[in-house]
Amino acid sequence: MIRTPLRPLARILRARERGENPDDIEAENRRRRHEEIEARAHRRAEGRLVLMAGLFAMAFATVGVRMGALAASEPAEPGAQVLSAQIMSQRADITDRRGRVLATNLLTHSVYAHPHQMVDPVGAARGLKRIFPDLDEERLIRDFTGDRRFMWIKRKISPEQMQAVHDLGEPGLLFGPREMRVYPNGDVAAHILGGSGFGNEGVNSAEVIGIAGVEKAFDAWLRDPANEGAPLALSIDLTVQQAMEDVLATGMRVMNAVGATGILMEVRTGEIIAMASLPDFDPNDRPRPLLTGEPSDSPLFNRAVQGQYELGSTFKIFPVAQALDLGLVNPSTGISAAAPMRIGRFLINDFHNYGRELSVTDVIVKSSNVATVRIAQMIGVERQRDFLRKLGLFEPTSVEMVEAPTGQPLVPQRWPAVTAATVSFGHGLAASPLHLAAAYGTIANGGKRVTPTLIHGRQRPEGEQILSPRAAAMAVDMLRQVVTRGTARGAEVPGYEVAGKTGTADKPRATGGYYKNKVIATFAAVFPASDPKYVLIVALDEPSTRNANGIETRTAGTTAVPVAAEVIRRIGPLLGLEPKTDEKLPTIAPRFAPRVEPGEEAGVRLVANQ
Amino acid sequence: MAYLDYKVAQIPTGWRKILHISWPLVLLVTAVCCIGFVMLYSVAGGRLDLWAEPQMYRFAVGMVLMIGLAFVPMWFWRGISVAAYVVCFLMLVAVDLFGVIGMGARRWIDLGPIRIQPSELMKIALVLLLAAYYDWLDIRRVSRPLWVIIPALLILAPTALVLIQPDLGTSIMLVAGGAIVMFAAGVSLWYFAIIAAAGVGLVTAVLKSRGTEWQLLKDYQYRRIDTFLDPYADPLGAGYNIIQSQIAFGSGGWSGRGFMQGSQSRLNFLPEKHTDFIFTVLAEEFGFVGAISLLTLYMLILGFCLYSALTNRDRFASLITIGISGTFFLYFAINMATVMGLLPAKGSPLPLVSYGGTSLMILMLGFGLVQSAHVHRPR
Repeated sequence: MIRTPLRPLARILRARERGENPDDIEAENRRRRHEEIEARAHRRAEGRLVLMAGLFAMAFATVGVRMGALAASEPAEPGAQVLSAQIMSQRADITDRRGRVLATNLLTHSVYAHPHQMVDPVGAARGLKRIFPDLDEERLIRDFTGDRRFMWIKRKISPEQMQAVHDLGEPGLLFGPREMRVYPNGDVAAHILGGSGFGNEGVNSAEVIGIAGVEKAFDAWLRDPANEGAPLALSIDLTVQQAMEDVLATGMRVMNAVGATGILMEVRTGEIIAMASLPDFDPNDRPRPLLTGEPSDSPLFNRAVQGQYELGSTFKIFPVAQALDLGLVNPSTGISAAAPMRIGRFLINDFHNYGRELSVTDVIVKSSNVATVRIAQMIGVERQRDFLRKLGLFEPTSVEMVEAPTGQPLVPQRWPAVTAATVSFGHGLAASPLHLAAAYGTIANGGKRVTPTLIHGRQRPEGEQILSPRAAAMAVDMLRQVVTRGTARGAEVPGYEVAGKTGTADKPRATGGYYKNKVIATFAAVFPASDPKYVLIVALDEPSTRNANGIETRTAGTTAVPVAAEVIRRIGPLLGLEPKTDEKLPTIAPRFAPRVEPGEEAGVRLVANQ
Repeated sequence: MAYLDYKVAQIPTGWRKILHISWPLVLLVTAVCCIGFVMLYSVAGGRLDLWAEPQMYRFAVGMVLMIGLAFVPMWFWRGISVAAYVVCFLMLVAVDLFGVIGMGARRWIDLGPIRIQPSELMKIALVLLLAAYYDWLDIRRVSRPLWVIIPALLILAPTALVLIQPDLGTSIMLVAGGAIVMFAAGVSLWYFAIIAAAGVGLVTAVLKSRGTEWQLLKDYQYRRIDTFLDPYADPLGAGYNIIQSQIAFGSGGWSGRGFMQGSQSRLNFLPEKHTDFIFTVLAEEFGFVGAISLLTLYMLILGFCLYSALTNRDRFASLITIGISGTFFLYFAINMATVMGLLPAKGSPLPLVSYGGTSLMILMLGFGLVQSAHVHRPR
């Protein structure tokens, strides 16, 4: 800072010349300097003040602008609710083949607590205990008065319960909308549908995920919003399924069985119209899986798909059909059924000794093990195995359920002569009833391979022709004769031309060997025989009944067959099948009487029908 | 002021002073208070006796206080400034030692019929002391480090006592109010730049330290920051106030839902609606127009005060006026921060509008000082 000297000498001298007082000059100087400092300070203060006023104004402007933006904005709450509504209606319905609902969604509410917002935690706990008696009041009080900020009370509550909770008037108890999967038909088709549970849970919605069956197999599809809520149409027919379960349940009780399974499949398409496994469960309240014991003891176990059973004599039609196809035999070729038959150190026996000469048809009709083995021996192990593989008996079925891969058939590793022999009459190879349905479907379908499916109306590639239509038709004819004069006479339902084959197989012990008094009784049916449309499999687990003479019997002919007949009687009309009661219609027998025809194999059945 | 030869003779004396009171300021303050009465009446659901009536009595007392203080000459204030500060400081110590606990903090001294909140009085006393200090201090020394440290300590000592009550809002007000006086007194901008830089550094450090082992704040404090940045992250917890406020603003729209029609406030979605959140009630019932009107009134009050300070050649009076208007502004700013969820909702009123005697009395006292400075300004 340049200081102005207080008493500039020059000015003082000049002043003295003029006779003025130099002190005045000094005083004036001092006053000027003070004024200067004052002015500078004042300017500075002014600048600061203006700056501050500007900052204040800016702060107010910010608040004002923000308020304007908020005033122009839509209230936020409704928007948020629309968003959660979108999340909620995501999972598609499941319907049967006629559009009847098998699984749908219901909007319920969950109730949860914010203990820190509670006015009267103890009163709230008491009120909740009154509404939901299964809650633990002590624990609620502990949780409500502790420092938890959030807790679920109930995941799904009814409207009445919601109102009751609402009436408690407790601000710390809150409700969230929640989509819930509902199976309105209860336990009908339970195994097919499987069930669902909650995945990620939020207050405003919870993710519904499939945990079994079709629900899990199609989980991604059902949740995909791109399908725009289009329902998943299963091939199941709800009424047929219900009838089937009804009859099976009754049959299971009458036959004292521990389990029962039934499959009804459309031959041409492979669509499963009904598939039941008993005991079953209610998918609305799915039981927990068993932690100990056999999985098949649980009602969750789907015998039709997951079961691995030696299906016994029902298998006999396969080597016979193959032999017919290969031209090794014709239905009237005589086969020796002299029993017992020795293969290595094993003896193969029959129920009766059917003698040295049994026509191929009668091999099936009378169900001769020995003769079947002879036919299988004519075919040879390699070809026999190939044929069974082509029928799909070596692989899990490709049916659209998550449980399907667990239904891997138990196929022998090596095929020595004795194994080939026992497999030909259905022992030593365990497969699921669904496998059997598919294989019988192939025979009923004129030899074209049938793959079972649960989806309705889907275009599928034509199955591979693994049997000539002629051989297939002859096989069906033999099966028809099993019902008209063979082991399954009880299956005759007038007008429906039931054809089929029984099978009774001893149940294997877990420790090896077989039970003497526990069997799987199976009846595999095709109907109507003149133009096969449906395959029906009925299998009873450990059935036991008494015949007219009061003697205990377990054979399929006395257990599975009457149940199957009842099933057909019930579902035939439901399927829209017209019973053929006109006795003048051509009977089956003359159709395959020796004749010169046909030139073209494909024409056989048509010519015969006309 | 020895070298300021202002003409004392022209300063009004006796009852004539009443003519020189800044009546526009009185009018503005009354207008804002009336808005407060209307809102308190509305929030109480159409009841006068709940909040509006007591508030009116307090306003009447405050008005008399303000007019009365306007007659007190400047030399008196200069004379009691140090004593006022010391008394307030001792009361703060007393509060921390044996104060009454209310609203989760120890803030009050019980003196029989009235309860005193020394931290509020401190706001005025600090302004008085700092104004007197800078009036006394040679203007050339204002920015010297030693002479900056002294007022800094004078500010920080009571702030520390308030912080341990704990009362974050008032602490912020004390520091910011003191800083405003220092700023207006002409302390070099470098000091403020350094403080600002340190502040930015501190914020950065606080944010960076999250999740590390030298984390500077508690987890819930970080959550509060998160919530401020994105209230919908925790809509039922810390974000509740902000969201409900925003819904209230949004539902008010441009012209509001009408007097006594605010659903957010009526249905008790808003907490502390008669105190901290009264601004959102106003915004809901009278909309953007109502809210911006109140903001305009606030701006006018501040404008009058700052203009008075600008034209007042008495440094002490000018600094008092600035300090009081700064305090007034800070009340508003802290309240806004509370409404936006930046500070906990524990007694940070909207100045002159919210229900509550202390802040109203303090502000009327402050405006009395402003009037006194205005009346006794050198001419």
